[in-house]
Amino acid sequence: MTQPSCSGEARIDVGVKGAALAAAAAGRFGALPIYDRAIECASRERIRAIQLEKLIAQVEWTYARVPWYREKMDAMGVSPADIKTLDDVRKLPFTDKTALRDTFPYGLFAVPLDEVVELHASSGTTGKPIVVGYNDHDMDVWSDCIARLSQMAGVVPGDRVQMAFGYGMFTGGFGLHYGLQKLGCMMIPAGSGNTERHIAMIEDYGTTVLVATPTYALHICEVGEKLGYDWEKSQLRVGLFGGEPCPPGLKAEIESRMHIVCTDNYGLTEVMGPGVAGECLAARDMQHIAEDHFLWEVVDPETGEPVGEGEMGELVLTPLDKQAIPVLRYRTHDLTRVVTEPCSCGRTHARMQKVRSRSDDMLIIRGTNVFPSQVEDVLAGIEGITPHYRIIVEEVGGLDRMTVQTEIKPEAFSDSFEQMDAFRASVAEKLKGTLLVGVRVQLVEPGGIERTTGKAKHVEDRRKA
Amino acid sequence: MSVPQISVFLESRPGHLHRILDAFEGAHVSVRGYSASDTGDYGIVRFIVDAPARALEVLRAMGCAAVESQVLCLRLPDAPGELARVMGVLADCGINVAYSYSLISTYIAASVKDIEAAERALADKPVEFAGLDDLAPALDGAAWRGGEAR
Repeated sequence: MTQPSCSGEARIDVGVKGAALAAAAAGRFGALPIYDRAIECASRERIRAIQLEKLIAQVEWTYARVPWYREKMDAMGVSPADIKTLDDVRKLPFTDKTALRDTFPYGLFAVPLDEVVELHASSGTTGKPIVVGYNDHDMDVWSDCIARLSQMAGVVPGDRVQMAFGYGMFTGGFGLHYGLQKLGCMMIPAGSGNTERHIAMIEDYGTTVLVATPTYALHICEVGEKLGYDWEKSQLRVGLFGGEPCPPGLKAEIESRMHIVCTDNYGLTEVMGPGVAGECLAARDMQHIAEDHFLWEVVDPETGEPVGEGEMGELVLTPLDKQAIPVLRYRTHDLTRVVTEPCSCGRTHARMQKVRSRSDDMLIIRGTNVFPSQVEDVLAGIEGITPHYRIIVEEVGGLDRMTVQTEIKPEAFSDSFEQMDAFRASVAEKLKGTLLVGVRVQLVEPGGIERTTGKAKHVEDRRKA
Repeated sequence: MSVPQISVFLESRPGHLHRILDAFEGAHVSVRGYSASDTGDYGIVRFIVDAPARALEVLRAMGCAAVESQVLCLRLPDAPGELARVMGVLADCGINVAYSYSLISTYIAASVKDIEAAERALADKPVEFAGLDDLAPALDGAAWRGGEAR
């Protein structure tokens, strides 16, 4: 469905390694593909009209079919007829994880099970997993979202896509798989693990796109380098990342070492899975929300009241096109800000800043609020260490102690305890300057921080154990 | 005379030193002396080996943080008071020893700031310099399996 540029600019072949990034660097966004220009570049008025029409239908659908929501809305004195403007969404009840847990497995389903074509579940680290179902319509919407974000990164029909996510119940694997197939790509369902085999497959099958978590992509990169694989000569051109936040430093490192363009997308199982928002090459720290499919709000995490336009707050999402398991005003606990100014890539859908922290991953260290993303930002600005880190919080003698483990790069090592200690002290000093709380820094060997194929676990809070 | 020293950054945890030594063995690198010290979290292990270039190559391939530097190498007669005598000579010449450790037999490696200056200062003093060849096994190469690889 890629269409010629409306600006009349000559199209470039984004299938050529490096072409998409070069076009973006030159500001030639008109030369890059847009999957569904009519929707993705629609006017703000048109987008709002689509949203309102869909919101009214979605609330009616939900109220009529899901007793849990009907009871909630009745108790609040709200009926579907009260939804007349987009702002009226605030009259609706919030939904959080516990609602999905309490109704496990099928309590929130709005269609008979024989209409459901696929089940997925979130990892469920605590208690029961969150189970979600999709009917054919939901699968189409999902694939549509994935196809859009893939084209934002310059993926084109005919690309050979190697999946390094695990398949299974996790939404990432199949979600990307179907969407990329819809775009016209050839899927190579390698699955997670066995890094050397991944590298062999990239070479043997001429893989052009890799789907992975950013930490695992870096691991594949490092293992390849050790094996003497030449990433620059490889046909691999694009990395589609997900499953965990991708700090800019990590992305830049992978891009330069693997000679590929990398983007990541935002999504969560409870409202669909990956694909809620995707990164274009114009504003790399922002992601376009698929606004015709999702209504967003940004609220104060404490009060639930809306924050001002463009201000940081908790993202609340209402899927507008979800039939099997509708969800109203889902509290994501993800902290972000959303802007609606036009993007130079040509898309008009609102952009959310990449989620770096969650309202519930804040650590309180001796009374001071600390976000792991702050640690990440400080470390990213220090020469001589890798992007990998770990935070350990423990109680020592009745006081919180935070230890940050960071990997030194081989070239930063000197044969002198004095210099190594000075280096360690300088890292600790920089962390303290930002976090405003003393931190113990532990230098570990290169490769000493465990690489994971799934979500990287950056924080170990031993206080709760 | 100085010899190359290989220093490796290691976490102070079981098996980490062993992993390095296993790799040396696999590459037929013979350790002629070493020193391991730590700070609680991490340590620096310093090696004098017969084949420094190969040792460094092995370590780099393992992704280790390792560097090569030069240290002064002296041979001491195996007699009481010899270490004290040599350190006395160094002290008299105003040479500070940052760290020092003993190698096979009665050789010591000593880290000093300026090796050439130390060599000049010690040239006519009663100390005996040693090089890598001096650290070769007393018996000829055939007696140990690293021999043929040199």
